Amino acid sequence: MIRYSLKRLLTAIPVLWIAITVCFFVLRLAPGGPFDGERPLPQTVKDNLAAHYNLDKPLVSQYLIYVGNVAKGDLGPSFITEDFTVSEQIAIGLPYTLKLGGLAFVFSIIVGVSAGIYGALNRNALSDYALASLILAGLVVPNFLVAPVFQLIFGLKLEWFPVGGWGDGSVRFLILPISVLSLPHIARISRLMRGSMIEALNTNFIRTARSKGLSDRAIVWRHALRPALTPIVSYLGPAASYLLTGSLVVESIFGIPGIGRYFISAALNRDYGMVLGTVIFYMVLIMILNLLVDIFYSWLDPRVRTQ
Amino acid sequence: MTLKRILTVSDLHVSFDTDDGIVNAVRGVNCHLDAGECLGIVGESGSGKSQTFLAAMGLLSRNGTASGKIDFGGRNILDMTKAELNAVRGSRISMIFQDPLTALTPHMRIGDQMAEVLGAHKKLHGAEALEVCRRWLDRVQIPEARRRLRQYPHELSGGMRQRVMIAMAMLCEPDLLVADEPTTALDVTIQAEILDIMDTLRQEHGTAIALITHDMGVVARMCDRIQVMRDGEYVEDGTVDEIFYRPKHEYTRMLLDAVPRIEIGSANKDRGTPDVIYDKSSDFLRIDDIRVDFKINRGLLSPPLNLRAIDGVSFNLMQGETLGIVGESGSGKSTLARAVLQLIPPSSGSVTWLGSPLNDIDKNALKSKRRDLQIVFQDPLASLNPSNTVGASIMEPLKVFEKHLTHAQMQQRVYEIMERVGLNPALNNRYPHELSGGQNQRVGIARATITKPKLIICDEAVSSLDVSIRAQIIKLLMDLQRDFQLSFIFISHDLSVVWEISHRILVLYLGTIVELTDTARLFGNPQHPYTKQLISAVPLPDPDIEKKRQRIKLKGELSSALDPRAKMRFLPSRLGLVESGYVPKLEERFPGHFVAEHDAIEDLLV
Repeated sequence: MIRYSLKRLLTAIPVLWIAITVCFFVLRLAPGGPFDGERPLPQTVKDNLAAHYNLDKPLVSQYLIYVGNVAKGDLGPSFITEDFTVSEQIAIGLPYTLKLGGLAFVFSIIVGVSAGIYGALNRNALSDYALASLILAGLVVPNFLVAPVFQLIFGLKLEWFPVGGWGDGSVRFLILPISVLSLPHIARISRLMRGSMIEALNTNFIRTARSKGLSDRAIVWRHALRPALTPIVSYLGPAASYLLTGSLVVESIFGIPGIGRYFISAALNRDYGMVLGTVIFYMVLIMILNLLVDIFYSWLDPRVRTQ
Repeated sequence: MTLKRILTVSDLHVSFDTDDGIVNAVRGVNCHLDAGECLGIVGESGSGKSQTFLAAMGLLSRNGTASGKIDFGGRNILDMTKAELNAVRGSRISMIFQDPLTALTPHMRIGDQMAEVLGAHKKLHGAEALEVCRRWLDRVQIPEARRRLRQYPHELSGGMRQRVMIAMAMLCEPDLLVADEPTTALDVTIQAEILDIMDTLRQEHGTAIALITHDMGVVARMCDRIQVMRDGEYVEDGTVDEIFYRPKHEYTRMLLDAVPRIEIGSANKDRGTPDVIYDKSSDFLRIDDIRVDFKINRGLLSPPLNLRAIDGVSFNLMQGETLGIVGESGSGKSTLARAVLQLIPPSSGSVTWLGSPLNDIDKNALKSKRRDLQIVFQDPLASLNPSNTVGASIMEPLKVFEKHLTHAQMQQRVYEIMERVGLNPALNNRYPHELSGGQNQRVGIARATITKPKLIICDEAVSSLDVSIRAQIIKLLMDLQRDFQLSFIFISHDLSVVWEISHRILVLYLGTIVELTDTARLFGNPQHPYTKQLISAVPLPDPDIEKKRQRIKLKGELSSALDPRAKMRFLPSRLGLVESGYVPKLEERFPGHFVAEHDAIEDLLV
């Protein structure tokens, strides 16, 4: 397993390199640069800045310098936010995003999987339909609408939770943003889970398990759950990367200082260093998550291991 | 002596609420089972033979309802609550199913799956439960039982998995074992072993067995009494002798007549030599020493493994002849067929068709020859394009090979061939899913014969069909052969079918020929131990012969083609030569009777 993981991570390196290369050159194709603001800077200042950030060198040597730095683990300076390197900036916002996203991720799985199993076991009952419509609502209503509505109801009217902010990072502050963030994921996971659970319950080996006189609980937990989780796992990789890289919308509505906002502002400001840095961070995260997903697969289905 | 009555089914009805309305699968069935007896329930697909016992196990699908009475130990099973039912099933009645691969939970170890039965019914857990499981695995003759407990189902062979199923069903020593087509998915030699095990368990433990099957041979061998079922009703019941020797109902007689009756040990076989005179000056089809290799990739860093699926096979075929190819799963039958048609390019050797080579030739040249070389596949529904009408599928070869015809002319040809294969031309605009299995196979045959080919390969072409339909299709193929002077290569795992249709038979084992001769001689005087074992394992639809017959059991199991020693299974004395790639040589023991080298059969018996 360790050998397999190492091998997978090694094959990720060329993929990462291609992504950096494409991003690097595409960014430079876009008009404007980091120092083209509304108030033009004097030419000498611009030249000095360009020289400081190596922007005066030919594109290819800029590229080589950058790739060389990345290989050494240095994501370089941010071009806009002075005094901070890209790594430092990500490190400042990341803990907030990680906590929020991680909890939302776990919450989505627990609620989504449970709702899906409930729906599958009570399929076509009234409660199943009620749950299905609730889930559909979670899927179609965008979170920039859900967030203020939740703030209104639970924050202002009922005064259960604070309307926004991070506070001391306690659960009270987190409940609303986590709910808003996980709602669409709960919806997708529970729909997937309901379908795959129904499919799993119709297999021959479940018929065998029933013929052995096992209780419904043993049949669901021991026999049906693992095969039913397989399609969920393929959804978890993308879902986790989405949650852990932060949602601009949710973070700004609730005033949480995570990294979501860096992504957008960096791209708009042509902050080359920041954009490339976040891209690299994002890609490494996705690769690690995909690796975890594959490892989880082999736990779910022993047949994968022998192949 | 009166035996203890185990199960009494009275006036059982089972119906299903489907999108097409209520379907009555079982309509007023009565039957009973005594301790230690084996009741056979025979019928064709859709007759409702499984549903009776699924109802007795409380295993009907969600849309099914059962009414009537199933009396087990004084209680009506249909009135039981789920908890009461769970106390009975798995403990006093247990069931084994057709497909042992899908019937076992793939992610659980064998030991865990078995032990949970003991946990649920006898409150036995942990090492104690595993020890009971191990003893049962020993009893169903699974080698290295202790190791198997820690394995997963996919790591076992099909026969081994079915033994696990049986052991699991027997853990609580039930009064009744329901076996739903327990050997249908297995090879004949494995089938024979599984049936033996079931029979022994019945004698040793007094377990009653309800054997649901379509195979009259299996019934003849195993059962005391038989119920014949059609369209949800029992048309006839009686003892084995009554059903086989004095059948009263017309349907029973039809079923019995439809089964090919191999006459083992007799040289009488009416197929004789092909009707067409064989012109020895020009070869019709000649296969010379072909080999087919598959590369098995094992990831980035390990070199791919070489699997030799066909290892030096040579034979020839005359015009108008049917060559049967038999072998168990994994023997390379289908690969051989595809290699002959160049659907898989052979790695070496040559295929000569009417005197000119078929392999290593230009794509267009090969395409023009394909007109004469057709194939009919096993699963008729899956091998037809579901979005094409039946007529369009049949017409397709004409559009490729006879482009000069107008559409009206092609349609005319389609109608003619449909009529010839026994399909109503009115079905022309139907889709495959609207037709029955037998009708779809006729479509497959019509498609293969519309260009008037010279050779048709039938790859398990009748294996998925019911016996009565199978008999009709075989008759159709033989008629077409006579009318169009067709040659057939007829591939099947079913010896009785091959016996009926073939002039000559080739027995394949792990990609090599072990015996090749005409049908009468192969069954009358088999030479190779493997052939003898295969023939002795075929269940014959005749209880008198079947119950007295001695079975030949050889050492070892059909193992993987990846294991070079497996090829020397019948020549263990030369096992030392494996390293040098030695393959048993085919020798002509009698004129026209080829046998691969083997050791004396006495040395190979278990």
